[in-house]
Amino acid sequence: MSLHIAGMGWVTPLGSSVPEVWGRLLRGEEAAVEIISDSVGQESHPVFRVPASALKDLPAHPRLRRASAISRFAAAAGIAALDDAGITISAPDAPRIALIFAISNGGVIYTKRFYRDIVAAGANTASPLLFPETVFNAPASHLAALLGLTGVSYTLVGDGAVGLLAMRMAEDLMRNDNFDYSLVVGAEEADWLLCDAYSKWRLTRSAPPIEPFHSPAKGMILSEGSGAILMARSGSVKIAMTHAGTSYTKRSRLGEASKKVLRELEAPLGAAVIASANGTFIDAAEASAVTDVMPGSAVYALKPALGESVGASTLWQVITGAQALRTGTLPPMLHMSSNLPFPPPKGDADTLPIRDAVVLGCGLNQQVAGLRLSI
Amino acid sequence: MAVVAAGVVSPLGIGLIKTLQSLRDSRDCVTPVTRFPVDQCRCKTAGQVDDEPLIAAAQLNGRQGRRLHRASHMMIAALREAWSQDPRFRPQLTVVGTTSGGMSFGEQYYRSLQGQATLRQAPAWIANYPPQKPVIDALAAFDLSTPCQVIANACASGTNAIGHAFECIRSGRYERVLTGGYDAISELVFVGFDSLQASTPEKCRPFDRQRTGMVLGEGAALLALEEMDAARRRGAHILAEITGYGISTDNHHLTQPNPSGVGPRTAMEEALRSASIEPEAVDYINAHGTATPFNDAAEGKAIGELFGKGVAVSSTKAMMGHSLGAAGAIEAVVCILSLQHDFLPANINFRGSDEGVVLDIVTNKARSAPVATALSNSFGFGGTNASIVMQKRPG
Repeated sequence: MSLHIAGMGWVTPLGSSVPEVWGRLLRGEEAAVEIISDSVGQESHPVFRVPASALKDLPAHPRLRRASAISRFAAAAGIAALDDAGITISAPDAPRIALIFAISNGGVIYTKRFYRDIVAAGANTASPLLFPETVFNAPASHLAALLGLTGVSYTLVGDGAVGLLAMRMAEDLMRNDNFDYSLVVGAEEADWLLCDAYSKWRLTRSAPPIEPFHSPAKGMILSEGSGAILMARSGSVKIAMTHAGTSYTKRSRLGEASKKVLRELEAPLGAAVIASANGTFIDAAEASAVTDVMPGSAVYALKPALGESVGASTLWQVITGAQALRTGTLPPMLHMSSNLPFPPPKGDADTLPIRDAVVLGCGLNQQVAGLRLSI
Repeated sequence: MAVVAAGVVSPLGIGLIKTLQSLRDSRDCVTPVTRFPVDQCRCKTAGQVDDEPLIAAAQLNGRQGRRLHRASHMMIAALREAWSQDPRFRPQLTVVGTTSGGMSFGEQYYRSLQGQATLRQAPAWIANYPPQKPVIDALAAFDLSTPCQVIANACASGTNAIGHAFECIRSGRYERVLTGGYDAISELVFVGFDSLQASTPEKCRPFDRQRTGMVLGEGAALLALEEMDAARRRGAHILAEITGYGISTDNHHLTQPNPSGVGPRTAMEEALRSASIEPEAVDYINAHGTATPFNDAAEGKAIGELFGKGVAVSSTKAMMGHSLGAAGAIEAVVCILSLQHDFLPANINFRGSDEGVVLDIVTNKARSAPVATALSNSFGFGGTNASIVMQKRPG
């Protein structure tokens, strides 16, 4: 069985279409930071937000009236991926399209509001309108309703690696001839509470930039948005291999877990690596895995430009990998360390002789996954 | 697909033996909520797992035990039981359902920000909050780093996980998959269902004409699934067989099923088709049966239309509460016990059916009856519907 990418949708702090975001990445642009605060805590935190203009084309739908930002991001990316592939869903075909949703923190904005009311004013003031939107599969449900999908819909939860695990799950499903397509959507919304939690965990920094592969690690900045990949049996970019993923129990074991995933992806010489480096402890582990398993590979880290979008992040990396293969270019890696452990990208959207790209997803909460694309 | 081992933690008891005894006794294991204040809620009861036997069953040392979430204890205890039955089982994939992960740690973190507690433990709460953590903790307790797919499809999560695991083996890609579900009760979720008036201030009475809603529960269950020929070749003890899976999405409403019952009916039809059996072959249906007016009306209609009065139906949630992401997995274990011991678990607190509904409800007491084929339903928010077919261990 051979699977391909038939369509892609991208909602990011740098815009909301694949050509737009890709163009800005090639020009070396990075998202603008916003400082957010909340009455629940004293600290302010930086975050990369999706601009309102990015959702201007989202169709009106009753399901989206009260939906949280994460559902809107997902809807925009999902629709864009279908449009990109020229797919219109008819009722008889609806069960033949599987929806796999990747999520990490979920509807944190409504979850916080819902619990805030309980703590501040008591359980009898809790809102029955908010609670359903706090459920992890609410965004997938809204998207299924919007698109008229009636068959398989799974919401997969995990850390930053979850998007790749979702693509693996989609591949598992598509071994069954009942499916023509799998729409894989990853989404995340940023909120002060989330930033504060990662800050308490000592993983964020107080101001940009995100400096990939820097030693010592200086921290990440959260962002939000969504990515969607329509997987089909034909398309311009081949999904040459997915990896089922693995887990690590201690940070010191992340390097070994990453090496295992990279090794098992069997990347040919000259493959590019789209890394998950985000300025935290994962960078050193990822760098060690790449230098050990794929020495000499061109490496690109997206997060200095777009931030750490957790549940959406690895699908953003997959889109980047697919674009690199389609166009033969890699954007310049921003804010990279002067002592990179591998050859630095040339830094200026040069044409690359690459036919393969490996996407590595090292999550902050013990999961690692990967896949290989080819053209 | 052979089920070669199973472990369970629920308000009915920890382990298959205690669970079987509670089911045979038709015990009501719903008790007043003690974990958080419920004085401002309509509902004040739930099915709860006692900490002391749970900690003993998980067998964690003091420091490690204190750091992990209760959900991790439940998963470790469930895996320990399954492992004890088949220590040679080595999963190639883990597929587990949940709805809320370590939610109570998130609640503690928020309350500490409000000055209601110290933030000293915040990093541990945050690290142990994610939904995949109890799964990874359980695997790590047995030195496994098996790939994890954690499905959060609301109340259908557990059955979706088992169904997807079944499909993964059936496709030929995997031979052995560990699957199941877990959820630990939390204030946010309890208040959420209370705010929707989905939970009841009185007894949970599935399919009763005067039903007033659900009560929450908690727990975990894990099943070791193996391709049948492979299980036979290595002489594994087979508890039961999973033979079919059906799933559908009903886009009617985020929290309410289509009253026509089309969602549950499609899932059950798909499961029967997947198992290559006719409705007449099913002896027992473990219904989703939350006892909410909407769910039981839609599910009862779908069962009635598809099966008529020819099949015994019960919802075991009246005995142990609705454990959300764990429910489908725990109820799969209930079906295995029913198949193994030829009895029909009871639908307790039942007084009389809805007008015009003709279902053979297993009223209030467990019944002895030959059970060769069981079907288990789980439906959830988001319009997600899942059914699995399980059959007696092949001869």
